[in-house]
Amino acid sequence: MKNLKSRNRPTAEEALRAVSQHAPSLPPVQVDAADRPTTLNLRVRTSTLRALEAEARRRGLTMKQLVAQGLQGLGVAVAAADLEDRTPRRRFD
Amino acid sequence: MSVLTIASSKGGPGKTTVTMLLAAALAKEGQRLSVIDADPTEAFSRWARQTYEGPPFDCFFEAEESRLAHRINERAGLDELVLVDTAGFGNRAAAVAMTSADLVIIPTLSGEADVTEAEKTMRLVQGLAAAARRDIQARVLLNKMRRTHLARHAASEIEKAGLKRLKTSLSDLVAYGELSYSGILPSSRPAVTELGDLLAELRKEGWLGPPPGKKHRRAKRTIAS
Ligand SMILES: Nc1ncnc2c1ncn2[C@@H]1O[C@H](COP(=O)(O)OP(=O)(O)OP(=O)(O)O)[C@@H](O)[C@H]1O
Ligand SMILES: [Mg+2]
Repeated sequence: MKNLKSRNRPTAEEALRAVSQHAPSLPPVQVDAADRPTTLNLRVRTSTLRALEAEARRRGLTMKQLVAQGLQGLGVAVAAADLEDRTPRRRFD
Repeated sequence: MSVLTIASSKGGPGKTTVTMLLAAALAKEGQRLSVIDADPTEAFSRWARQTYEGPPFDCFFEAEESRLAHRINERAGLDELVLVDTAGFGNRAAAVAMTSADLVIIPTLSGEADVTEAEKTMRLVQGLAAAARRDIQARVLLNKMRRTHLARHAASEIEKAGLKRLKTSLSDLVAYGELSYSGILPSSRPAVTELGDLLAELRKEGWLGPPPGKKHRRAKRTIAS
């Protein structure tokens, strides 16, 4: 029974971090059809929006990423797709 | 409490079959367990919902790595045992399930390429363990074994490569294949013995708790004395 005692299990965030650190090139499994993108609209004070903008810029993130990361830090199961910068890039060719 | 992840980089060595066998056998014992299906094909969860005929256990489908990571931790806090069936190709969900596991079971067939794949999976587990700074055990489980020279060769190749394996192996049995459409745990001879051996070995190594009946009886005796 030696192994049943101290499990030292990582938190979800630690496990996710270990995977992106050790195996960053592993692909995600195909996004399941049930987890389609949807919209979250937040009505906030202008000062909050400014603060979000400033912090996102400082960290080199999009505002959505900043919010998603913050929530993940609180233990909310944020989908990996929402932690990435998926802003469509304009192509000049 | 224990998280057992069933994984392999290659498709088809019997991950889902092994998960079905373990889940059905442990549910029959009255063990409190849940199974998380991390394979987008949903092979296990469909089976659990539509085909399986035995004492119930909780089954969840989570192929997205972040939700999977949370689900594993949530269930590990609630159940004595969490089994995770993964998809048969290198992907982040499988890696997350390995990182959060106490034991990774790597079903492996006896071909030469299969042994090489098992080595790859074993190395991935070691790398993830280092990144997560925790001990994650991994064991090869030889599956679909026939009593042939090739099978013995595979077993020795695995030992030569320094890969740890479970002493128990599973034979190539119609009864195992049938489980996927009958939903009934095999009740005939070689299968019953092998499954019993597998559970006993996992218990001996501490990856499974004692069968609920046993624990109960022991507790009673203590009170009486
Ligand atoms: N020991 C065995 N004896 C007989 N048939 C088996 C055995 N193990 C697995 N099979 C059969 O082999 C096939 C593949 O097994 P299974 O689906 O469990 O593999 P898998 O690793 O989960 O595959 P995938 O990578 O596609 O998820 C199935 O048809 C299953 O019934
Ligand atoms: Mg499978």
